[in-house]
Amino acid sequence: MKFDVVIIGGGLAGLTAGVELCRAGVGCAAVAEGLSIHNAPMKEYVDAGGVLLSGDSVVRGEWEGNRLLRVFTRNLENTPLEAGNFIISTGKFFSLGLRSDMNGIYEPVFDCDVLYDADRENWVNPDFWGVQPFETFGVRTDAEGRVYVKGVPSVNLYAAGEILAGKVDIVKSALEVCRKLK
Amino acid sequence: MQEIEISANNFERCLKCDICTRVCPMMAANPYYPGPKQAGPDGERYRLKDPAFYDLTLKFCLNCKRCEVACPSGVKVGDIIQMARLKYGRQSHPVRDFTLANTDLVGTLATVAAPAVNAMVRTAPVKALMHSLFGVDSRRTFPEYGRKKFVDMFDPESQKGFDRYVSYFHGCYVNYNFPRLGLDLVKVINALGYGVHLLEKEKCCGVAKISNGFGASARHQAEINASSIRKAVAVGEVVLSTSSTCVFTMRDEYEHLLGMDMSDVRGSLMLATKWLYSMMESGKVRPVFRKDYHRKVVYHTPCHMNKLGWSVFSTGLLRMIPGIELIVPDQRCCGIAGTFGFKKENYDYSQKIGSGLFDILKSCNADVVATDCETCKWQIEMSAGLEVMNPVSILAEALDIS
Repeated sequence: MKFDVVIIGGGLAGLTAGVELCRAGVGCAAVAEGLSIHNAPMKEYVDAGGVLLSGDSVVRGEWEGNRLLRVFTRNLENTPLEAGNFIISTGKFFSLGLRSDMNGIYEPVFDCDVLYDADRENWVNPDFWGVQPFETFGVRTDAEGRVYVKGVPSVNLYAAGEILAGKVDIVKSALEVCRKLK
Repeated sequence: MQEIEISANNFERCLKCDICTRVCPMMAANPYYPGPKQAGPDGERYRLKDPAFYDLTLKFCLNCKRCEVACPSGVKVGDIIQMARLKYGRQSHPVRDFTLANTDLVGTLATVAAPAVNAMVRTAPVKALMHSLFGVDSRRTFPEYGRKKFVDMFDPESQKGFDRYVSYFHGCYVNYNFPRLGLDLVKVINALGYGVHLLEKEKCCGVAKISNGFGASARHQAEINASSIRKAVAVGEVVLSTSSTCVFTMRDEYEHLLGMDMSDVRGSLMLATKWLYSMMESGKVRPVFRKDYHRKVVYHTPCHMNKLGWSVFSTGLLRMIPGIELIVPDQRCCGIAGTFGFKKENYDYSQKIGSGLFDILKSCNADVVATDCETCKWQIEMSAGLEVMNPVSILAEALDIS
């Protein structure tokens, strides 16, 4: 199945990007699993002509060097989603965009590089009401917004929304990615 | 360390976020239904302690699985409710529920006298009688029975001489009500250079028995189907179905509700549109289309199709047909949920749930509604007054066979 852009993660960031791209005539598919509280953008996205795979989840990708060629989902089985560009917007820990264990923090779909404090002691602020450092952990991106995988920036996998490191403006980060893909 | 995920349906993973309650079609129409969270993972904790906590309003669950599609934690909310119903539920109207659930028996009897049966169930006195005696709502239009069964119309001789084959699970609807859909599939598959085999032995997929609480008898049918499917897969054939509910039931409900292992054949069991789409997209088959075919089509995603996540195959297939203008609106439940909408205590809910969809479909001003579910077809034809076709039949119409 071929699209211009495949969006992995249908939250506020993914769907904002989806609506923006579809309205500009870019053919999108969004794989959306999890807390889809963004009812309005979801409807807007479908009305704008976007393909929504709800309740589905990307299980793996196939790469040619640093270029992501296609992704496979749980429901579509052996039919991959192919695209020129991909956006990962799967969010942070609660939406399972980032996972953590005793050894570190990782991104489970593509194993993108994650920026986080190596010293586990520093992940949380003992002041419960203070800023929690783990909330600022996220995937490493280059100046263009493309994620790093194993130390090298990918050619066509962009990140948007909460999955990014640092203090994130969800909508703004999605629109920035769209500017590059329109 | 604490053992996590003890149950097969992940009920202890529920975060109580209530997203399932928001997407539940029954919740929006019926104040007596406690909703998927309370009926599912919440209620399960109590039922494990004492089955007396079983709540009779669980019968309102449509088994649409929208709760499962929405759940961010992988809780099989719908399965929990269905399992509870199978374990603790009782038929509110045993004769009616038995009749509605035994599709093979009733179908066989009805096709023998199809013209008389079709005419009779449309008359006011018979409808009134069925309403009061059997609890089948008098406002429901019954689907017509075919004069001949699909299995009697299918000619195995005509399928000889192909070097590649697929198997076809026709299901009750094609066999007893609408053989044309089965014949359309055979026509399409043949046009693509494949022959069609029927399964050695086929029973109703069992969905009506599962939803009406006849678990043991559903399992018996399921075993027969599973063994036939295994034989077809063993000789390298995929098994296709033209009903999203049949295929969903056999792939997932056999495993989750009837405790069977289908993992060895699950990948070979699929909806015809999924197979057709993959074959056409990969260029393995190159069908020739009519040049004069023009239709404006609106696609309705059945709930079980939504759960399978496969509507992209049906819509993708329709988009491959030149001359088709396709509309895919925001999808929602039609309200019939199989035999549910036939019952007089459910009829009003079933119409209330579907009303939003009927308006959307009517406002599209399309020539035809396409959908992969036969009961959605009955509901939309009856309540929205629109013509409904399976995508396979639309494809059969658009192909240039000559």
